[in-house]
This record gives sequence, structure tokens and C-alpha cells, in this order.
Amino acid sequence: MPLVIFVDDSETALASTRMVTNSMPIEVKQYTEATIALNEIKAGMTPDLIITDLNMPVMNGFEFLQGLREVPATKRTPCLMLTTETKAELKQQGKALGLTGWIVKPFNPAQLKQAITRVLRLPA
Amino acid sequence: MVILNSVDELLEHIKEVQLDVIDLSNQSLLSMSSYIEKNNLEIDEDISTALQYQDIITQQLNATIEAMESMKKSIHRFNHAFESDENLANESLTKLQEKLTLTLQDAKEKKNRFSGKLVEDNTDTDEIEFF
Repeated sequence: MPLVIFVDDSETALASTRMVTNSMPIEVKQYTEATIALNEIKAGMTPDLIITDLNMPVMNGFEFLQGLREVPATKRTPCLMLTTETKAELKQQGKALGLTGWIVKPFNPAQLKQAITRVLRLPA
Repeated sequence: MVILNSVDELLEHIKEVQLDVIDLSNQSLLSMSSYIEKNNLEIDEDISTALQYQDIITQQLNATIEAMESMKKSIHRFNHAFESDENLANESLTKLQEKLTLTLQDAKEKKNRFSGKLVEDNTDTDEIEFF
């Protein structure tokens, strides 16, 4: 099963995404700190999709994305930003860093499912 | 300056109350989501949105806490300058006012930024955008 990792400092945000993904044919790992996720990736974890929040303490979503792109295994791994931010400049910044897409919170569960299905090319 | 010390204490109190509110709303939402997950209950869009409000509440309150911390810093700087030389009071007051105006602008900008689709200006925003 494809591995999807979620990174968000809000535990309730992670719980909300868990309720959407628990019926999908994917393995899910969740992290409240981007540094921990990045360390596990550097240690050999190879996710098929990464979904991260932008505004987080310690390491924000862009810093995390930059870190991911420096690891050969995740240089091209699809990555979605899941955030309350809607500014076009931020989206452009994310695009320049190789972001696959931008999801605005609060998300619609069906649309989040569709986005994951589309990126991972799962059977609809 | 005594009045500013009172404002400082009041800000500290509001900050503590807001931190408690963040903690309580977090615990309450986690209990609800844990109940939903344990019982394998399916959630619809409305419930999902309601659960996600907690994240927005936390970010909004944290932004106002940052504004209060910035105000407190400015007040401390003013008090320090005022205590060392009362003749500098006018100049320090102008600086304080400038700092507080910047803090307010920053706080208002964050209110909009951290609202996601909840703000009217953002309703046209595509929920999911692929690059």
C-alpha cells in the first residue's frame, strides 16, 4: 500500500485527516513536528505522498519541503500543502519549491480523498 | 509608568486565558474525534469542517497572543526609557505608538491569513489547486 505522511502541529487537524483516510487503501503516518518526519525520511522512510501544514513552529512547511528536496529519495515525491493560507504569493513560493498542490482548510473530506486518489493514481 | 504596568498585567491575564481556551478546545475536539474514530462513525462535510475549526481557533488565538507579546515588549521598552530619562517621554511615547500601530496591522493581517475559507474575501479561493 502506498505510504502517505501527514505533518501538522495541530492534533485535531491530524485527527480530521485520519477520519478521511481510514477507509482508503493507503498506509498513513502522522507527525506533529516536521523535523521528526524529515529525520525518519533521512533514515530511509520513503513516502509516496506528503501532505503538510505551512504554519508550524520549529520547522514550517516550506522549510520542510526544502529539506525533502535535498534528500534523493524524496526529491520528486508529490507534496501537498494543507493550510489556512490563501495568499497567491505563498502558493507561488510553494510551486517554485516543487509543491504538487495547495489545499485550503477547512477542507472538504470528499475533495481531500479525490486529491489523494488523483496524486497516487489509486482506483477511483 | 503605572498605567502601562496595569495594561501589561491585563495583557498577561488575557494571554493566559487564551492559552487555557486553546487547551480546552483542543482537549474537547480530541475527545470528540477519538469517540468518532473508536466507533467507526462516518463524518460528513459539516462535521469535518466543525472539527477543523479548532485548528483555526488555535491559530487565531495564537496570532492575538503574539500581538499581545509584541505590545508587552513595546511597553517594557517604553517603561525602561521613561525610567532612565523622563525628558525622553514624548519621544518614547511616539515610538510606542508606532510600534503598537505596527502590531495592530500585523495582527489584522494574520486574522485574515489564518481564516482559510472562512473569510468572505477568500470564498472564491479554490479549495484544492494543483500546480
